[in-house]
Formats: sequence, C-alpha cells, structure tokens
Amino acid sequence: MFSAERLGTMGWLAVGLLAGILLGLLVGWVLWPTQFTDADLTVLQESYRRDYTVMIAANYTLDGDLMGARRRLFQLGETDPEAWLLAVTVETILQGTAAPDAAQDVQHLVRLCRDLGLYSPLMEPYLSSE
Amino acid sequence: MNEPRPLPRRRQRNETGRSGEARFTPISLILIGLLIGVAGSLYYTWIVDPVIYVDASPARLRSDFKAEYIFLVGQSFVADNDWPRAQQRLNLLADPDIGQTITTLLEQTLRRGESAERARSLALLAAQLGETGPAVAIFAPTIAVMPDGSPTSTAAAATATPTLTATPTLPPTATPTPTATPTATATPSPTPRPAYRLLSQERVCQRTLPAPRIEVITVNAFLEQEPGVAVLVSWEDGEDRFYTGFQPELGAGYGDFLMAPDVSYSVVLVPGSPVVSGLRIEPCPANLGGLPGGWRLTFQNLTIPTREP
Repeated sequence: MFSAERLGTMGWLAVGLLAGILLGLLVGWVLWPTQFTDADLTVLQESYRRDYTVMIAANYTLDGDLMGARRRLFQLGETDPEAWLLAVTVETILQGTAAPDAAQDVQHLVRLCRDLGLYSPLMEPYLSSE
Repeated sequence: MNEPRPLPRRRQRNETGRSGEARFTPISLILIGLLIGVAGSLYYTWIVDPVIYVDASPARLRSDFKAEYIFLVGQSFVADNDWPRAQQRLNLLADPDIGQTITTLLEQTLRRGESAERARSLALLAAQLGETGPAVAIFAPTIAVMPDGSPTSTAAAATATPTLTATPTLPPTATPTPTATPTATATPSPTPRPAYRLLSQERVCQRTLPAPRIEVITVNAFLEQEPGVAVLVSWEDGEDRFYTGFQPELGAGYGDFLMAPDVSYSVVLVPGSPVVSGLRIEPCPANLGGLPGGWRLTFQNLTIPTREP
C-alpha cells in the first residue's frame, strides 16, 4: 500500500518535480508556445505556397523577369523549385478552369513553365494558344 | 566504562537531518519540485525545442517577405483585375491597417528608387483600399473595381488637377448658356460605365497667335499617352471625328480639331466617355495674350492594361 509517510524528502520533491515538468510542457508547447513572427516563405502552408507560386507566374507575365521568377521560386524552399512549379501548373490545369481566374492562372503558369524549359503534355493546349 | 561514545560529528549530522525534516513539510517539498520542474520544462519548450509551425499563414512572415507578398498581390491584381481575390490575399496578412501599411511600403519603395512598376502596383492597392496621399495620387489613377471585376471611376483625388468634373445632375439643354467656363455635362452613354473619364479641362491660349482649337489628349490608366482613340466632335448641324496619335511630335495621345467662331461644340470619345459640351472659342485672359483660345481635354482610360512580357 502507498503510504505518504514512507515517501520522505526525496519522494515529495520528485512528486513536485514531475508535476512541474508536466505543467511546464503543457504551458510551453500547448497553452503558450513560442510565437514566431519572422518566418520565411518555407513555413507557409502548402495552399499558400501554391497561391504564391501563381502570383509569381502572374508577375512574370507582367515584368518578364525570368531571373526574378526563379529567385522567388527558390525562396519557397522546395528542394526542386522547377519541379514544384510544374506540379502546381499540372494541379491547376487538372482542377479545371471553371473557377474565376483559373484560366488566367493557368496561362500565367504555363508561360513561366515554358520559359523555364518545363513541359507537361497537359500544357499542350495552352502552349498552342500562346 | 569502555562503552563507546558516539562521535560528535555523527551526532551533529543526525541533528541536522531531524531539523531538516522538521523544516520542509511535504507541501513545501512539492512546491520546490514544482518550481524546478516548471522552470526546466519551460526552458526546454521555449528555448531548446520550441514549437515550429510548418503550416503558417502569410501573417507570420518576416517584414521583407510580407512586402514581397503585398507586391505580388498587387501585380496579380494588375494581371487579373480581380479585386475580391486581392482582398482575400491581403486579409491573410491579418493587418488591421493594411492600407496604411501599403502606403508606407509605397513611400519606402520610392525613397529607395525602386521601379515605377513596383510603385504603381502598390499604389493601385493603396488606392483601392481608399488611401490617399501624394505618392498614391501620382502612381494610381483613381480607379475602383466593382465586385464583378469591371473598373469604374471614383471620387478620390486624381493624379492631375482637374479643372472641371462631370456634373450629371444638370438638365440637358439644347443650347448651353455661354459662360466663361463651359460646363461638362454627363449625358447617358451607350454603356453603363464609360471606358474613359474626363481627367482635366483647360484653356488653350497662345500669346502671339489665336488658338481656336479643341485639343484632346488620351491617356491610359497609368497616365501614359494612348494613341488611336476615336474622338467625335459635334455641333448644331454637323459632326466630325478624328483620332489621337496622328501628330506624334505633340504626343502619342494627342489630337486636335479647328473650331469656327460662334459655334458650340460637344466632344465625346467613341469608346465611351462623358460628353463635354458648350465648347466655344473664348478670348483668353489678358495676361495670356488676350487672343481667342480653345480648350484642352484630357481623358483617362479606366481599363488597367495587361502588359505582356
């Protein structure tokens, strides 16, 4: 049987320590975690990184700065930025162009892919209209 | 007699232990442990192994990445002309005063001497958010985009200083009252939203020669002169049309029409604009020569051009 009297000094200290550690972990990781407000683009949620990629392509349509587009894609932190761009383009095409602005997004993405030397058979209809 | 006596040192240690047990009650021991545990684990969770967010929103971005994000939102808005989408993207920054943030960013951009394209993009966003100020006025034409994506003019400050604005409440009159300053009367146009707005109306005066002409200058949304715009000039018993851009030495968007004395003219752009009526040859002020003079009308295209690379 557990007896409070048998715990002794170290026992009570250990009980307090254990409770303190659990409380600290709860506060530090769950209730009040460190708030990072100086993040870079690599920590963005994937949907935001996709949207950012679409914006990079739209900007490229306007300024034609291929190096700038490359630099911005690189900042997204993907191991292979060009593969990422092609994947976003393919996904956007597969989602269809029914959504507002989807057709324009595809045009922007396909143009950037083409100028970076990337290709997917899905891009073919858009390449012929370029 | 030979009974061993306890060592003083050992006796002293026992006394300390007994007195220690008496000082630290179980509650105080738990509190000490609790404090040590909380301090240690907070150090671990906040410093050694903090929570790393890998699915962050743009609101958590560093300021330079936020600036780049805002610029790209502006460029996308220029490209697709979809203001609700741009707003949705800006809302992700969770900035309660995003308009002021963009205006500040625009001013920083100008101070650093960055490209006019970047400034225009930011100014457009700022203007859409209702921001005013010199930088916004210079780089953003006063354009608001309706929820359906089509642009329309707003009452915000213009980039130039218009001397006359359309007054749609005036009743249509067959013969405008002769006054020193003709009134621009907005009459119903064939389309609900005209493609052009009247940006300014000024006198044309020359000190040495009469200047009895109507000068029309057409500019695009970025205030760059725009050639090839058809202008319709009408008067009581006739009409004529000309195009801007046929005198490139006077400007890519310039065109003019010679006026006859005692005739009242109306001018409208064929793609759609307010009608400017009551234009007559008027004597210029004495300090400008006092000779007969005409009128210079500047029209701004409300459609944001999409630029191909």
